[in-house]
Amino acid sequence: MTWPSATLLAQSVLSGVFVGALYGLLGLGLSLSWGLLRLINLAHFAFAFLAAYLCYQMATMGMDALATLLVIVPLFFAIGAALHWAMARFSITPFNSLLLTFGLTGIIEALIQSIWTADFRKLESAYGEHRFKVAGLFVPLPELITLLLAVGLSFAVWAVLRYTDLGRALRASAEDPAVAAAFGINQRRNALLLAGTCSALAGVAGVCLALGFTLAPSQIYAWIGVVFAAVMLGGLGRALAPLAAGVVIGVSEAVTMAVTAPSWAPLVSFTLLIAILLFRPGRAA
Amino acid sequence: MLEVRDLQVAYGQAPALWGVTLKLQPKELLCVVGPNGAGKTTLINTLAGVLRSRAGRIEFEGRDITALPPHRFCEAGIALVPEGRRLFGSMSVLENLEIGSLMPAAKAKRAQSLASVLALFPALKAKLAQAAGELSGGQQQMVAIGRALMACPRLLLLDEPSLGLSPLIVTEMFSAIGRVNAEGTAVLLVEQNVSMALRVADRAYVLEEGRMVAEGSPDELMRRDEIRRAYLGV
Amino acid sequence: MNTTVRAEPVEALPAGPGLRQTQPERWSGQWRTAAAIVAVAVALAFVPMLGLPAFYDSLLYLILHWIVLATSWNILSGYTGYFSFGHGAFFGAGLYTSATLMARLDWPFLATLPMAALVACVLGLGVGAIVFRVKGIRGEVFALLTLAVTFVLGTVIVNTPIDGGNGVSLAAVAVPRIGPTASSTFYLLALAAAALTLLVAWAISVTKLGAGLFAIHDDEDAAEVMGVPTYRYKLIALAISCALAGLAGGIHALFLNYVTVGEVFTITVPLTVVLMSVLGGSRHWAGPAIGAVAITLLLYSFTAANHAVAGKAMVGVVLIAAILFMPEGVLPRLQRLLMRRGRAPAVVPVATVEPSRGAEPAAGQGDVLLRATRLAKSFRGVQALAGVDVEVRRGEILGLLGPNGSGKSTFINVVSGHYVPSGGSIVFEGQELAGREAHRIARAGIARTYQIPRPFGGQSVLDNVALAALFGGGLGSPAAARREAMTWLAFAGLQDKAHARPDELNLHQRKFLELARALASRPRLVLLDEVLCGLTPAEIDAAVALVRRIRDQGATVVFVEHVMRAVMALTDRVVVFDHGELLAEGSPAEVMQRPEVMFAYLGQAHASERSDA
Repeated sequence: MTWPSATLLAQSVLSGVFVGALYGLLGLGLSLSWGLLRLINLAHFAFAFLAAYLCYQMATMGMDALATLLVIVPLFFAIGAALHWAMARFSITPFNSLLLTFGLTGIIEALIQSIWTADFRKLESAYGEHRFKVAGLFVPLPELITLLLAVGLSFAVWAVLRYTDLGRALRASAEDPAVAAAFGINQRRNALLLAGTCSALAGVAGVCLALGFTLAPSQIYAWIGVVFAAVMLGGLGRALAPLAAGVVIGVSEAVTMAVTAPSWAPLVSFTLLIAILLFRPGRAA
Repeated sequence: MLEVRDLQVAYGQAPALWGVTLKLQPKELLCVVGPNGAGKTTLINTLAGVLRSRAGRIEFEGRDITALPPHRFCEAGIALVPEGRRLFGSMSVLENLEIGSLMPAAKAKRAQSLASVLALFPALKAKLAQAAGELSGGQQQMVAIGRALMACPRLLLLDEPSLGLSPLIVTEMFSAIGRVNAEGTAVLLVEQNVSMALRVADRAYVLEEGRMVAEGSPDELMRRDEIRRAYLGV
Repeated sequence: MNTTVRAEPVEALPAGPGLRQTQPERWSGQWRTAAAIVAVAVALAFVPMLGLPAFYDSLLYLILHWIVLATSWNILSGYTGYFSFGHGAFFGAGLYTSATLMARLDWPFLATLPMAALVACVLGLGVGAIVFRVKGIRGEVFALLTLAVTFVLGTVIVNTPIDGGNGVSLAAVAVPRIGPTASSTFYLLALAAAALTLLVAWAISVTKLGAGLFAIHDDEDAAEVMGVPTYRYKLIALAISCALAGLAGGIHALFLNYVTVGEVFTITVPLTVVLMSVLGGSRHWAGPAIGAVAITLLLYSFTAANHAVAGKAMVGVVLIAAILFMPEGVLPRLQRLLMRRGRAPAVVPVATVEPSRGAEPAAGQGDVLLRATRLAKSFRGVQALAGVDVEVRRGEILGLLGPNGSGKSTFINVVSGHYVPSGGSIVFEGQELAGREAHRIARAGIARTYQIPRPFGGQSVLDNVALAALFGGGLGSPAAARREAMTWLAFAGLQDKAHARPDELNLHQRKFLELARALASRPRLVLLDEVLCGLTPAEIDAAVALVRRIRDQGATVVFVEHVMRAVMALTDRVVVFDHGELLAEGSPAEVMQRPEVMFAYLGQAHASERSDA
């Protein structure tokens, strides 16, 4: 274990913040879906990757990478709402939703692989070429965009949940659906809205993925563990918590990597996850 | 105002109400009393839309609402104060009250309604920001009633408001309910606590084992044997 | 004390199918399954002699390999419902144990296999000992926890000299020759492992352990209260499951020849075994095997046709279809199809028409059977029981009354062990019960029913009752338990419904099932929680008669009830609770006239009314 220099450590912490922001963005949709809709959507990751590949494709064909959001957000909103509508017709337990969405993940993965093959794809966008230097540390533009989107969306969702009637209705429905209905809350409509939003968030995360990472279908699974850790650390159904937890995990991983070796990084998130699940299993409910 | 005919409700296999009939006049305070297991909560929940009936008819203000979807009952003018309060415990008192007024008509009058609820229950003014789950039983009951009042209902349904509360608070609660009724809202109240209920009621029914066994004014009922037999078996 | 059963028209026993002797058939039926497994295995052992191309050896090996993995997973997860996503960890532990022993310590291949199983088993016990102790770790939490364990283990292995990031090469290890060709070694080893796993899975499913595991699946808390030692059983199932997975890992190590962490410690292994078991039917010992064969063949056929990608999609589609349309799996569907073709279920003989007791109940009549002293229970600051003193005398029917929220149900829950008391003591036949695990309380001779019946939905009516006889009553074998159960079903008038599922019964029958279940363990104290609620007047009369007969059998009954006329008719004594405290005690007619009791129920006005009259 060699202790790195201060600059190197600071750069590590910064890159941990950036990747943690992406964990948080990915975790946001998952946490909302699990906490407020009682559905564990494993396909969330596959959706994100599908969006990433679509962004890659459209950007390669000439569109501005960020402009692809204009297509991706509404598209994935619709997909998410449609999927929820279909699933709601069968009453599925939270556990079965985990299995079902795993099946869906396999299908989406196969779809991606059949169109784009298993080769690694890297989006070469104009954004990737810019880097800022702030206080002696490098801040790549794609990562910065990710951070801004993650923070912005997290706060937006938080504000909606906290300050609007819709947000209150969603929180009430999650806590006591029968009484919520007695006060006029139309849960079916709200659920479709929420499911669509969670998918749209996955879409945005996908664009961020495309901007900053190399894509391969097998990579879908690499994110599942660490994002679940962020979601559980933060608690279900919260807006700002996945971001905070994601950053904590990202930074811990980055520091671990800097101090020991990159391959030790997963130990951090998973040990944290085990600890949370052992000592506060009630948080999952 | 409210007419219920031959209502039959069951929980899955277990029948709970066997052909219940009752009538409520506008601005009336009607009580349904009966021992535990009689079906009082089942009745109230069906009238609030939380449960579906198997047979029978519910008419409210001339309109047949028997088959209305659950979330439409509030719009129709019926608000529920559930058994055991059932507040949204993780949300603040203010948010709980706001949930009561999500419907457009009620939302327009939100500020007014809030003012009148706080006038009715001044103790809540200091608790608006607190999580509802942290309040005492009596305070929670106030919030539950307030939440229902925020919906500007024409009919207020209360399910065992005295449950788990000390006698002093129960008295306060019932006098508040009396005031609400005096201002023009019809009230249907189911209660296990007979004396409290009959003190405020205009009329009352006695429910036993899922059937209405008696009806009349409080004085009439106190003199009859049905209540004693239903509760004590002697 | 009158010990004969009074004849009641409602429960008259019809002469008929229930009394036919079929015992010898049943036993030979069971051994037939085991013999069949062995016979098929032996037959398949000759396949390598057919001289098929090596490709078939590999395919068959893989099928058998997945049969072992899926069936071993199912022993814990399918049987108990604790879906583990950590099977990869135990499989990987076995794999790496073998690989390390072979590559670094030059152990011969076959010798590493028992070690692989052992290491995986110990690992599983370690995880289970901690995780099963924490209440609330079930369902998706358990799944995530076990998944996390997989990744932690994988990370540790990849970073330590065990793997070191480069994988472990076994090229230099000699493959022992078993059978005609080199590749047939793995096939035969896998065949042996598969046969062993299937035998173990089958054996568990027909013994007491299996009955307990299935009960845990349907309702763990009720199972515990009925006498199933849930913690111990879950641990045993996990240990067996891990050992078998480790064995499969050990064999697979040399098959792969070059092992890496990335292939093993992932989400793929657990999700594949889940798919296979769910598809085939996770309640049956053969279900996962069917799923394993189907999915492996499916994937292989796609790969062989160069459509590996489409194969993955196909697997996803199959999983979704299974969850939505066949959540129980393929095998139960098939079974029902075969059953419908007129094969009647095995009939169980009734041991005696009138169950009688060994001990003479007249002796000790009136002694104190159970004494609760200052018994208290609080939930998060709310005092449900505020220190009550209650005596239950042998042979009596004691009524437990009180308004809503007075603590009656809490009292039952505490005495039966569903809740741990916050204070006070419970002495039953001289033994202190407070704080004892629920299954020990059941074994001590206390049984209860639930207000809303909680039968084990996945089992037949007969098996529901047999479980109580097996665990609460301490009988040795499921067969003996079933005979005992049949007796009690007859007592409750349900013998015709013995092979039905609980959800086919109406409420009245389900309440009687609860009663039969409570009686099957031959308890000395029966706690009835609002047995009569929801019943029609005629059904109430039948139930009251049955409760009397229960007492006449020699059991003592404590009876929580609101239906007052039943209380008046049945009880010898009543105690009244109010706000968690004991309010009154004495004969029913006398107690219900007391002013303080009337006040508790009706309030001031009525009480003063009565005392004036």
